[in-house]
Amino acid sequence: MQIRNFCIIAHIDHGKSTLADRLLQRTGAVSDREARAQTLDDMDLERERGITIKASAVTVTYTPPGDTSSSGGEQYMLNFIDTPGHVDFHYEVSRALTACEGAVLVVDAAQGVEAQTVANAYLAIDAGLEIIPVINKIDLPGARPEDVALEVESILGLPADGCIFCSAKTGAGIDELLQAICTRLPGPSSGGQKTQALIFDSEYNDYRGVIVYFRLKGGQLQVGDKIRTMGTGRTYNVTELGKFTPKPTPNKQPMSAGEVGYLVASIKTLDDVHIGDTITRDIDPADAPLPGYKEPQHMVFCDFYPAGDTQYDHLRDAIDRLHLNDASFTYEPTSSDALGFGFRCGFLGMLHIEIIQERLERESNVNIVQTAPTVTYEVALKGDVDEVIQIHNPADLPDPSRIREVREPIVDMEIITPTESIGDLMRLCEGRRGRYKKQTFLSATRQILEYELPLAEIIYDFYDKLKSITRGYGTMDYTFRGFRADKLVKMDILVNGDRVDALSVIVHRDKAEYRGRALLQRLKKEIDRHMFEIPLQCAVGGKVIARETIKAMRKNVTAKCYGGDVSRKRKLLEKQKEGKKRMKRVGTVDIPQEAFMSVLDPGEI
Amino acid sequence: MPHPASQSILSHAQRQASASAAVDGLYLHVPFCSHKCHYCDFYSLVEQPGQDRYRLFLDALVRELELLAGQYDNRPRTLFVGGGTPTLLPPDIWHKLLAALTTQGWLSRVEEFTVEANPETVTDELAQVLASGGVNRVSLGAQSFDLTLLKQLERWHDPRKVEQAMNYFRGVGISNINLDLIFAIPTQTLDQLDADLDAVLALEPTHLSSYNLTYEPNTALTAKLKLGRVNRIEQDLERTMYERVIDRLAAAGFEHYEISNWCKPGKSCAHNLIYWQSQNWLAAGPSACGHIDGYRWKIAPRLGDYLEKSPHPDRLDQEHLTGRAQLGEQLMMRIRLLQGVPLDMLPPDADVQSMIARGWLECTNTHLRLTREGLMFADTVAAALL
Ligand SMILES: Nc1nc2c(ncn2[C@@H]2O[C@H](COP(=O)(O)OP(=O)(O)OP(=O)(O)O)[C@@H](O)[C@H]2O)c(=O)[nH]1
Ligand code: SF4
Ligand SMILES: [Mg+2]
Repeated sequence: MQIRNFCIIAHIDHGKSTLADRLLQRTGAVSDREARAQTLDDMDLERERGITIKASAVTVTYTPPGDTSSSGGEQYMLNFIDTPGHVDFHYEVSRALTACEGAVLVVDAAQGVEAQTVANAYLAIDAGLEIIPVINKIDLPGARPEDVALEVESILGLPADGCIFCSAKTGAGIDELLQAICTRLPGPSSGGQKTQALIFDSEYNDYRGVIVYFRLKGGQLQVGDKIRTMGTGRTYNVTELGKFTPKPTPNKQPMSAGEVGYLVASIKTLDDVHIGDTITRDIDPADAPLPGYKEPQHMVFCDFYPAGDTQYDHLRDAIDRLHLNDASFTYEPTSSDALGFGFRCGFLGMLHIEIIQERLERESNVNIVQTAPTVTYEVALKGDVDEVIQIHNPADLPDPSRIREVREPIVDMEIITPTESIGDLMRLCEGRRGRYKKQTFLSATRQILEYELPLAEIIYDFYDKLKSITRGYGTMDYTFRGFRADKLVKMDILVNGDRVDALSVIVHRDKAEYRGRALLQRLKKEIDRHMFEIPLQCAVGGKVIARETIKAMRKNVTAKCYGGDVSRKRKLLEKQKEGKKRMKRVGTVDIPQEAFMSVLDPGEI
Repeated sequence: MPHPASQSILSHAQRQASASAAVDGLYLHVPFCSHKCHYCDFYSLVEQPGQDRYRLFLDALVRELELLAGQYDNRPRTLFVGGGTPTLLPPDIWHKLLAALTTQGWLSRVEEFTVEANPETVTDELAQVLASGGVNRVSLGAQSFDLTLLKQLERWHDPRKVEQAMNYFRGVGISNINLDLIFAIPTQTLDQLDADLDAVLALEPTHLSSYNLTYEPNTALTAKLKLGRVNRIEQDLERTMYERVIDRLAAAGFEHYEISNWCKPGKSCAHNLIYWQSQNWLAAGPSACGHIDGYRWKIAPRLGDYLEKSPHPDRLDQEHLTGRAQLGEQLMMRIRLLQGVPLDMLPPDADVQSMIARGWLECTNTHLRLTREGLMFADTVAAALL
């Protein structure tokens, strides 16, 4: 049987998961009766939000129609991986690519090539994969498949006449795609004699422990093998081996080079296996591990504190438990003068934070106050030796007298936009301390705009701004470039005279006053009136640069309350009495979750 | 959530018990208006000419009442027809409704029979029909006498019609008249409030309901607030306005007996007192709420369903409070009355000392009541008593 390993990559929402549905259906892996939309998006959150968060690997078999084609009659084992499109989950794509020889690049026939189309296509090209471009959604009224095929050719250098037109919705073009997968993608090379399997993903199951996803590059693997992970040097016995079809289906036979599958080997925690590590046999091991991957770097950090009636221990259990299932974020205990004990967590981006927080709250029923996300800063200290420390929390910034310079992460930003929005986008980037790099024409109406931008300036609302400037047509993608020094200072916020460390923020000196005033305005809106007046101050290096006052509450009385209002009123007051969830009391002031996020507001209109 | 165990849907036995309970009041809801005011969250529909369902509604309401009369005590002390705009129903429909109420026995012991009226809908003929059917009190929605403020509320009526409507009612012998007044309307100044108070007092009503404008969820006004199209009056000014209302009505000889209600001596609204004292009342008509001995329910608000399911409309939001939870709710309502809560009603766990120390509550020989300052923080006090 021939083998084809490929992944499906695309810009977000261009139809990868829906295309995967059609492949599962057309190959008979999922019957028409079982079929549901985005079968591979099996997490609740994925289904609710309609996006893929985690890559999924599946194996199907396919026999091309026999008579005419060169591949006719022979059976193919197709191993494919549906990947997420969102920029926060880029690393999932990088991993998937190393398990494959080919990639199906999906492009929406109405939207055309977008920022993540370019980014993901280049990743695949760099990894040496054969690419089949697929122009999807040709059923849409606004579809312009020929134009999009030309875009693919001019931007990515993939011949327009090699594009396959299809609709993952109606099923048009799917047979042609399957045919192309068999004929145009290379099969895996047979590899060496010794067992080498790349771990490209893992998941945790309450009953079976860790399930390891691997791609066998050389040799064989079978149940009963004693395996060794070459990076960590640990050994395990394989108790189950199989493929996802898409249900996990154990394999009795040995698996051989070229195949993709999963194994279970009484591995207790996700921390015991490293994605990118190589599995070999304990007896007769491979000489060297396969090239692995760089761990995704967590560039965005924020703190989770227990709020409402949630206790610290409860939150800790919840985070421990989630981390067992999802090792994509990091966490360590931290404490704040204002908020008490909590956890400092590292993430891949804002969507990632949102998803982890939502999973915690929903799966463990905890209430969380989240501090404003911050990027990692490098601080070079004064002194004879070149000492550089990394900080993940503005409150940790050392005293200015000890600091030589503060460096912040810079990204290479690529924006694809309609030409008419270029001016506004450039103003946006300049306002965010961007450095212009270049501008390239995609077509008469679209351009690629490239900037270097501080990560801190884009994590919060840059994407929303971009979307509104381009009326939804602009897309963006970025990669980490390195750290760069700038005039960065810590701005402290005092609420009722107390410095609230969780509200401290690192800002550019020239923007401090402006940001400070905007921030206090926001805080004033977010913090409810109390029975006393609350002064708000903003200070840099001990000097107050802005102030505001929240006036004392003068009344709290419902004017109308009659026979139909009783239950509603009682519930409202009970809630008021219970204290709002996601509130933190600092001194005598109750600060809501929204207030902690207000430090992110760049203060633009 | 406190006291979850004591809250449950009414059992069969409890239903039996409430069927034999004495009923103090009856509320009827008429779900029609000629236009939807922007601040209003009452259930009411604007019927298109030609498709008006007034008659269908009347039939369903009469059938529902007939059923209720068979199941419950049908001799309440008070009757209140609210809405919506009950006076939008034409005189012949009113005539039938009043006749049915009489036949079914609902009026046999009624002392106070109030109908809500919108000034522009009142005619001499309608006033006569109401009076001869036993109505002895009306509540008129005046809200403001200032055209710009009425516009802010998108309340469409000619303020001069208020006096005209009062004359019609007085002409047929209905002299017990409440006027509704709203203050803290966007853009309103203290001078404008004074002018409204002058206008109201000149009309010499026997009762006044004067409300701080409330931004109810799911109203056009709240949507406009969120969009920044209207600005809410500053809290400090709201308070000043409320205090101005209190002082001026006291000077004019009105007794302040509930947070937003004032009356001439002896003219308090017996029906509304039933609510604040957690007594028993029955309800009919879509969205109307009833209460019998801790059991509360709401008639499903959609008119279409109401007509379809007649005479067995769905009951929504049913709950039955008992024990401390029920007492908490009673205290929450009762403390709104300026007379206060009878001392013997207070449970031992009620933390009233701190609120007395704060100057929000005070004790008389018989009652615990809100002080003038406490009126301003009545919700904080009520929450503490729950
Ligand atoms: N009309 C039409 N809609 C499609 C087609 N393919 C996908 N869609 C729709 O496009 C939306 C996105 O589809 P998905 O398959 O979830 O896209 P995705 O690329 O997996 O998205 P991410 O995983 O979030 O990056 C869904 O609403 C699909 O129903 C198609 O061929 N035609
Ligand atoms: S007239 Fe009364 S019930 Fe009708 S919309 Fe206006 S405020 Fe609401
Ligand atoms: Mg997807």
